[in-house]
Amino acid sequence: MRRVPVLLLALVLALTAFAESSNKKEAAAVTPVAHSSDANSMRAEGEQRFRANCGRCHAAPQKFPPRAMATVLRHMRVRATITDEDMRLVLFYMTQ
Amino acid sequence: MIFAPASGLSQTTSTEKPVPILSGTAGFLSDKTAGQTLLDTQFNPVLLVPLGDRWLVESRGEFEGEFQRPPGGGPFGGPVNKHLDYLQADYIANPYVTVTVGRFLTPFGIFNERLYPMWIRALQPDPLILPIATASSDGTMLRGGFPVGARANLNYAAYVSVTSIGIDGVESERHVGGRAGFFFPGSRLEVGVSWQKALQDDRKNAVGFHMAWQPRALPLSMHSEFVRSNQGSGYWIEGAYRLSQVHFWEKAMRRTELVARGQQFFGGSITSDAADSLGLPGVNTREADFGVNYFLRDGLKVVGSYGRQLSSSGNFNQWTVGIAYRFLIPLGRGGNP
Repeated sequence: MRRVPVLLLALVLALTAFAESSNKKEAAAVTPVAHSSDANSMRAEGEQRFRANCGRCHAAPQKFPPRAMATVLRHMRVRATITDEDMRLVLFYMTQ
Repeated sequence: MIFAPASGLSQTTSTEKPVPILSGTAGFLSDKTAGQTLLDTQFNPVLLVPLGDRWLVESRGEFEGEFQRPPGGGPFGGPVNKHLDYLQADYIANPYVTVTVGRFLTPFGIFNERLYPMWIRALQPDPLILPIATASSDGTMLRGGFPVGARANLNYAAYVSVTSIGIDGVESERHVGGRAGFFFPGSRLEVGVSWQKALQDDRKNAVGFHMAWQPRALPLSMHSEFVRSNQGSGYWIEGAYRLSQVHFWEKAMRRTELVARGQQFFGGSITSDAADSLGLPGVNTREADFGVNYFLRDGLKVVGSYGRQLSSSGNFNQWTVGIAYRFLIPLGRGGNP
């Protein structure tokens, strides 16, 4: 079991390397969605992401106040391991 | 390096600055198993405290009163159990990695982490295999989810539980493990695998597989888990069908959900007494459950189910009726709804 910490460290380093190398790609992937789409298309896309991600476990809840919804989405990002882009679009759909 | 914020990737705008919230579930169930009635009251508060753009402190407690009549008759009575499910600090390091430290729900399969709360689960009785490899962990975890190509997302979790605690309410054990899943948004299908190795006692492995699927054409939600370990093996598969496509009594039908679950458990290499202490059946067991849920309004539902359990130690029926309520209270100004 001495190998376990080494394996975890290797996993951290691998993920970090992957994250760093992909950060620019991710920003490029996220930003155009936010800037090139109008609110309606973002809302529609957010609804799609909501149904695909959140619908895996539960029915659609009512829309809570925006700042409460931001907390719920941060919680669900961790709990349900949804992606960063999915979280942003779902948050837009649930608050706008 | 892993803790370096990724520029431009903060979660919120100034108008969506998150506030602490108190959420959770309250519920009441009347359960009649093999002729014995159990009144089960549950209160599971969840506290979420966001800090800055990247931190979240979250906790869930469980208060459960289980009341039965004594064998000779008399008023209902029984213990109120208290349990700390998780108390963890999450740091969203970048779009791919979240670091968690503290006491957390063990990411083995999907039921324990995602489907456990009363307001979420489609059937109130636990799956038979739920106790396997799902004791809360005390240690650290890395997890995240990100796209891999245009049609799939990868989600993962890797964790170490470093303490072995045996006091009431906060039991845990030393183990290491991980879970990985692929989610295909187009087909709304997720498949994944879990692994855990105990770092104490017999140092055995547990392996699990899970599936979640919501077909686009139907208001159907399918979930399934399989697990194999020295404590036992088994599977469950469950389907929940919302009657929103029925064209009479539409208002009522939209709020109604029919559920069915089939499951099987195969005893492991541990004694039946040890299995009983873990909450597992002592012998090979099969069970079928059928239920109806009616959503009165968002977060409030009435539940009912019937199950039939078959095993060499005896066959019996299980009837459950009850109500589950999910609440959410912003602890601060939440903005306009």
